[in-house]
Amino acid sequence: MSILEYNGAAMIAMAGKNCVGIAADRRLGMQAQTVSCNFQKVFSVSDKIYVGLAGLASDVQTLHQLLEYRLNLYELNEERKMSPQVFSTLLSNVLYSKRFGPYFIEPIVAGLDKDNKPFLSGSDLIGATVSTDDFVVSGTCTGNLFGMCETLYKPDLEPDQLFETLAQALLSSVDRDALSGWGGVVHIITPTGVMTKELKGRQD
Amino acid sequence: MARRYDSSTTTFSPEGRLHQVEYAIEAINNAGTCVGILANDGIVMASERRITSGLLAPAKTSEKTYKLCDHAACNVAGLTADANILIDQARIYAARNHYVYQDPIPVEQLVEHVCNYKQAYTQYGGLRPFGVAFLFAGYDTQHGFQLYQSDPSGNYSGWKATVIGSNNQAGKSLLKTEYKEEAPSVQEALMLAVKVLNKTMDGTAASVEKMELFRMTLDEDGNCQHHILTANEAKQVIDSVTAEASSSGDS
Repeated sequence: MSILEYNGAAMIAMAGKNCVGIAADRRLGMQAQTVSCNFQKVFSVSDKIYVGLAGLASDVQTLHQLLEYRLNLYELNEERKMSPQVFSTLLSNVLYSKRFGPYFIEPIVAGLDKDNKPFLSGSDLIGATVSTDDFVVSGTCTGNLFGMCETLYKPDLEPDQLFETLAQALLSSVDRDALSGWGGVVHIITPTGVMTKELKGRQD
Repeated sequence: MARRYDSSTTTFSPEGRLHQVEYAIEAINNAGTCVGILANDGIVMASERRITSGLLAPAKTSEKTYKLCDHAACNVAGLTADANILIDQARIYAARNHYVYQDPIPVEQLVEHVCNYKQAYTQYGGLRPFGVAFLFAGYDTQHGFQLYQSDPSGNYSGWKATVIGSNNQAGKSLLKTEYKEEAPSVQEALMLAVKVLNKTMDGTAASVEKMELFRMTLDEDGNCQHHILTANEAKQVIDSVTAEASSSGDS
């Protein structure tokens, strides 16, 4: 059993035309047993930065609180909002600081920078980060997620189209994975605001 | 005679005084005035801006008012360099408390922590005390809006209205007569604060460049709002105080 597969997760972040979307499933399990069907794995760290934390649930919650702590201090000292690139670097640093006893999380970051240009990045559990301009995935069914994204993704999708693409990619991927699913949530971040929708898929 | 007992912070004089602490308090009495007033729907803090040179470039939003966390802010009177250390301490302590408990830190706990840190410099190490006095303004659900004053000794006390910095006695005496038992509204408190600053800055005419006005209120969702008044908003308050003064024939 891998510790990163103990609780189960599936998440995608995708870039559109002047917008980004991030979607995740809702399941919290303890191996085969499902414990919750509305577990939060995607968190807003500011109006324009969302982070998805896939992996061990305890670390999901702790890391979210830790990142919020670091971001709040940054904003107090620097008197400005953190950009998504800086946040991604912060996340990478926090993860590497536990290089020999890591947080069991493989996060993805989605946001709009100060010019409202989409930003996406994903990293492994010890902070190795990659930044892309199309999509990033993480969780217990990354094979499925990569396949669905590669097939359905088109550049420069409008927010509504991006929502459809993300929703379909996520729902189809989790159906072939026992550890993820039980619904989903999608956030579409645009310069004017964030649209959040709940997905109802196969409840198994 | 006090000479022998005032070089070391950690030594009492025969009269039972800590001279270094008192000298630190003196240093603050030369600093720009800060006045804090508790209103019934918020807190107002006003401070004197001492512009030493027109060539100075402002690095931060304010050199008097600092946000400590979502629900607390402070005004500084004294050595800014000393204040920066304490403000960093307070910010980290409040943020860490929020990380551990996922709940906002009670205002008094935050104030007491900063004060305990200051007190250590009056008892250990042979280091000089911090030459800073603070006005802390905060809100928590247990005690509502609160205003605290602290000094280099590490003492703190809660106030309905108070003044620190130069001419604070004049300011305090004005507050004693003008602060009503039923607390003022934020707008009335802003005007009272300007009146107090007018008195402590006696001689110099009130103007937007010389005063910084800050208010802390709750929005409809119950979240704390920190607001340093813009030049226009401050001008309106100052103008209404001047109008009231001239119409009632005050000198």
